[in-house]
Amino acid sequence: MGEMNIEFNVNGKQVRVSAEPNKTLLYVLRGNLGLTGTKDGCSSGDCGACVVMLDGRPVNSCMVLGPQVEGSSVVTIEGLASNGELHPLQRTFGETWAFQCGFCTPGMLVSCYALLELNDHPSREEILTAIAGNFCRCTGYQAVIKAVEQAAAELRAAKGGAGND
Amino acid sequence: MHQASMSIPEYTAPATLDDALGIKKERGAEARVIAGGTDLILRMRDKVFSPSVLIDLRRLSLDGIALSDNELRLGAFVSLSQVLESADIERLFPALPAGCREFAGPPIRNRGTLGGNIVNASPAADLVPPLIAYDASIVLSSSDGERVLQLMAFFVGPGQSVMEPDEILTEIRLPLMPASSAATFIKLGQRRSMAISQVNLTTRLSVDESSMVSEARIVLGSVAPVPMRAVAAEEFLLGKELSEKLLNRAAKKARDEVTPISDVRASLSYRLEMVEVLVRRALLATWDELRGSAPDG
Ligand SMILES: Cc1cc2nc3c(=O)[nH]c(=O)nc-3n(C[C@H](O)[C@H](O)[C@H](O)COP(=O)(O)OP(=O)(O)OC[C@H]3O[C@@H](n4cnc5c(N)ncnc54)[C@H](O)[C@@H]3O)c2cc1C
Ligand code: FES
Ligand code: FES
Repeated sequence: MGEMNIEFNVNGKQVRVSAEPNKTLLYVLRGNLGLTGTKDGCSSGDCGACVVMLDGRPVNSCMVLGPQVEGSSVVTIEGLASNGELHPLQRTFGETWAFQCGFCTPGMLVSCYALLELNDHPSREEILTAIAGNFCRCTGYQAVIKAVEQAAAELRAAKGGAGND
Repeated sequence: MHQASMSIPEYTAPATLDDALGIKKERGAEARVIAGGTDLILRMRDKVFSPSVLIDLRRLSLDGIALSDNELRLGAFVSLSQVLESADIERLFPALPAGCREFAGPPIRNRGTLGGNIVNASPAADLVPPLIAYDASIVLSSSDGERVLQLMAFFVGPGQSVMEPDEILTEIRLPLMPASSAATFIKLGQRRSMAISQVNLTTRLSVDESSMVSEARIVLGSVAPVPMRAVAAEEFLLGKELSEKLLNRAAKKARDEVTPISDVRASLSYRLEMVEVLVRRALLATWDELRGSAPDG
């Protein structure tokens, strides 16, 4: 088959791309749209480097075909910052050294972002569950957990919510 | 990237089930349904499947969960995450979400569907043992109508089922369980998340007013080419009063019934040993659950 037109929303902007149906969302984001923040680690759903939000949920963009996102909304790592300000998670990841080589980081951040969108007071166990599909070869995850806890506390404080535990 | 290696000549997202079934009728096995794609995409890359057309059913709203007086109906496109978010399922069929929790990570659970897990017909499919333990039936639709069959009767061999080339799986039905019934899911993998099962199983027990076993299900995955029930062990339990000794003996019987495979994930002797250990553990946990939920403790 030739190329298909696919229209969807990326980081708040409506886009239209033309791609063959065997191209994955990961490929479309990186190849057609130049959004190379999202990484390709394994192309098989195992590593989580390619995680993006699709209609409000984290998914492996290497396991989604382009035409499957017709009419959907996608948020990538490039969409986490707003008005030139990093998302608290992006800052706390830096502050706690939650990455070394950084290859897993875009996917890891999106998974953590998805968690905090639903739950701004996650337990350690809930954080571990949220990142179960994100492999990190460098950090041993402890710093990631710390970064998420710290960002969650900041988000609660910003909302004027109770406590800074 | 190995993106280019998969070929998809044609892709369509029909607006109605009739349209989808029409394509199936015309193109048969050449036409393949794509649900979450979490299995299909890998198989197309590996050239296990090279369909000439992909049918994306996302516009058909096959993702409903509906509870009635006598059963729960789940659309084939219900995702694992939807199962985990349903209070009805957690209350009525807890072994099913238990299987979902030990299944990959959230990004795969957000895409993977119940229907895909069934149609794959993988001996290691994690949701099949709980569904069979709950006596699930499935609806296969074609342009000639639909047929309903027991899920247990669906599987023929690894990757093979009785589904005809013109059929689409549309619904999964779970009959409501008797009041005194409990079930347990256990998965053994090499690590806690993101692992394919070495052995996965679900046990379910019901007792009557006089505390005698009235129903027993011991469903094992990953130990044979198709999911299996340890029928002799199940029958042995019927009409008896539950005790630790009884459940130990049932677990031994289950071990005698299986002739597991040896593969990269576990050897035959290890699987045999694990079948007995895990069946015992699951039955004891199920019994515990039954006692916990019984009015007289
Ligand atoms: C990283 C990773 C981890 C995984 N972990 C697990 C795990 O722990 N346990 C487990 O059991 N599986 C696991 N899987 C396998 C897979 O995710 C599941 O089997 C999932 O349920 C498949 O659903 P899907 O919607 O993605 O299916 P798809 O890939 O869309 O489809 C699978 C097959 O079923 C057919 N099909 C799908 N729906 C229908 C329908 N309604 N009618 C007719 N045919 C249909 C397709 O044509 C295809 O052949 C894993 C996969 C990955 C990539
Ligand atoms: S690149 Fe998608 S999970 Fe590894
Ligand atoms: S920072 Fe290197 S893999 Fe995670």
